[in-house]
Amino acid sequence: MGGLVSPDSPMIRRFPLILAALLPWAVWAEAPRPYFQDQKAPETRRDLEAIQKALVAALPKARGATVGIEMEDGSGSGVIVSPEGLVLTAAHVAGGVNREMTVILEDGKRLKAESLGLVASTDCAMIRILEKGRYPHAELDRSEETRLGDWVFSLGHSGGFDKERGAVVRLGRLVRIAESTYQSDGTLIGGDSGGPLFDLNGRVIGIHSRVGEVLAQNMHVPVREFLAHWNEMERGDFVGEGPFAKKPEKGKGFLGLATEARPEGGLKVTKVGRESPAEKAGLVEGDVLLKLNGKDLKQRDDLQDQLKEMAAGDRVVLELLRRGKAETLTLRLGEKS
Amino acid sequence: MKRTTKDTKGSETRAFREVSCLSWFFPLLALSWIVSPALADQNLETARRRNGDAVVAAFTDAQASIQRSSAVIQEGRRRLAYGVVVSPDGWILTKASEVQSAGTLNVIVDAETFADVRVAAVDPIWDVALLKVTAENLTPVAFASGEPPQGAWVVANGATSRAKRRVLPGIVSANAREIPASGGAALGVVLKEGGKSLAIAEVSEKSGAHEAGLQPGDVIVAVEGKKVSKPAELRDQLKDRKAGSAVKLKIRRDGKELAVEVRLMARGEMADEQSRNDQMSGDFSPRRTGFPRVIQHDILGARDSVGGPLVDLDGKCVGMNIARADRAQSFAIPAKEVQEITARLMKSKNE
Repeated sequence: MGGLVSPDSPMIRRFPLILAALLPWAVWAEAPRPYFQDQKAPETRRDLEAIQKALVAALPKARGATVGIEMEDGSGSGVIVSPEGLVLTAAHVAGGVNREMTVILEDGKRLKAESLGLVASTDCAMIRILEKGRYPHAELDRSEETRLGDWVFSLGHSGGFDKERGAVVRLGRLVRIAESTYQSDGTLIGGDSGGPLFDLNGRVIGIHSRVGEVLAQNMHVPVREFLAHWNEMERGDFVGEGPFAKKPEKGKGFLGLATEARPEGGLKVTKVGRESPAEKAGLVEGDVLLKLNGKDLKQRDDLQDQLKEMAAGDRVVLELLRRGKAETLTLRLGEKS
Repeated sequence: MKRTTKDTKGSETRAFREVSCLSWFFPLLALSWIVSPALADQNLETARRRNGDAVVAAFTDAQASIQRSSAVIQEGRRRLAYGVVVSPDGWILTKASEVQSAGTLNVIVDAETFADVRVAAVDPIWDVALLKVTAENLTPVAFASGEPPQGAWVVANGATSRAKRRVLPGIVSANAREIPASGGAALGVVLKEGGKSLAIAEVSEKSGAHEAGLQPGDVIVAVEGKKVSKPAELRDQLKDRKAGSAVKLKIRRDGKELAVEVRLMARGEMADEQSRNDQMSGDFSPRRTGFPRVIQHDILGARDSVGGPLVDLDGKCVGMNIARADRAQSFAIPAKEVQEITARLMKSKNE
């Protein structure tokens, strides 16, 4: 685990920065704070129209960046924040690091993705679209000028992705600011988790996290919480402890095969468990495992010792011989029940 | 699963119910549930919130329109729904399923109460009833010509006193579209398994079948004159019908054949179980799916605040509120369709 996207990895270098993409960022970054944000309340028809105009102008781009996220056991929302397909979501949506999931774009296109790191205490998580491309994305608010009472809007796939309906937009005001939480009075519901909260310049200022019983209790994680742990999350770290994600337990990683050591070295696969991660990755009886994550496998203990240090979801690279030919398989460990 | 955690400062204790899910219909990852909000933070005073007095005061034209043309439909002093005044001489639209089973209705328009209320016609597909009160000088809604774009302000009747209507603002929040009947349109019966005929084993209590008096043991023999003897044939006869529409059945009971008419309902709306999203939604409309076309908005109404007009900043009517679907989603019939329904109901009430 870890080092999946370190800043100097080839993965990043393969995508050269494109100037055209930087241009709108510069424009957005300097968009002035709209006057209505500093009014106690809209007073005239003109004030209401100014709010509406800003919202309508920001919506197309914000919608394009808002995605659905589907995993085996549920679905949530997220927002693309880089042209390469980096997505911010909630830790309780990602569920862990190194997990496989599907990202769904506004037009219904489904893309493979994997979770990077998360912050379990504040409900931040980062995932990455695995297919190469240039994706519609939203800008993050780095200005720290968001204030109590600001008009904001939420997007998300309430109740699950519905292409005909699209992401649902809700307008509200920031009604409470706490250390690691924004609260707005635009209502959220299941399925919105991980979706973006925008200011009326169209910049992401938070990620939807949870709701209270009262309709005005809709909680978002401020973007500054993401920025504070950005590099760790990009690296794939599981940061903090807390209610929003459970740390994978060492030794719970499950491969699902039986082996015997060969006198000449390597482990011969004698049995592959049905529906096991090993079977899904294509391992078959008779394969000879030579290395796991680069380390030699000479006797059975070599395999067990390594698995003992690993958790469910960890990525495993197996070098093996199949009918005398060298092959490499990559898989993720399942969870021991 | 319920858990109590303490945050890093130890200053507050929150109980979380972690949710991984699930309505029986859409599996989705729900938001967790925070029970007690933190205090001692920056809080926006109530008047300045989206539904607060200071904000609402800016919607003057919409307020005036709602005051004149949003009717309050009551049973005694209990509000059931709002209504759309569509003519000076007392014709009013409302949500049919909220008023149909009530006793004697009365209606308030502006500051006047009308006691003689008659249900003149009903469109069961759209769930719209046309009411008549004896009046001469009501102010009907003025319909807007186009449909409001996403993000446009819309305003609805949110609360009421005897003389005054209060408004709630929101925005158009998703694409206009059809809302199919949840789970499909159904009779509301469970058939006996493995039998050679379509014998009824159970009748769902909230169903049209129950309303029509169907009983366990009854055997369905024909739908709209077509003989049916297998579940697949029955399904085939029902599959293209709409929730709210009626279907003529022939049934056999104690050796005799009877003709009955059963109103189809959305299968998902006859079930008793609530999804996680329903549980966090408060009181929603029991009839909230099966509409040919709606505008979606985010006004925080209640179950009894549907049925009235949805207006724009000019106070022009852009729709009629027809369902509070859940905590975050409300539906309105678009103005064009409201006018078509009105014309159709006005015609049918004379026949």
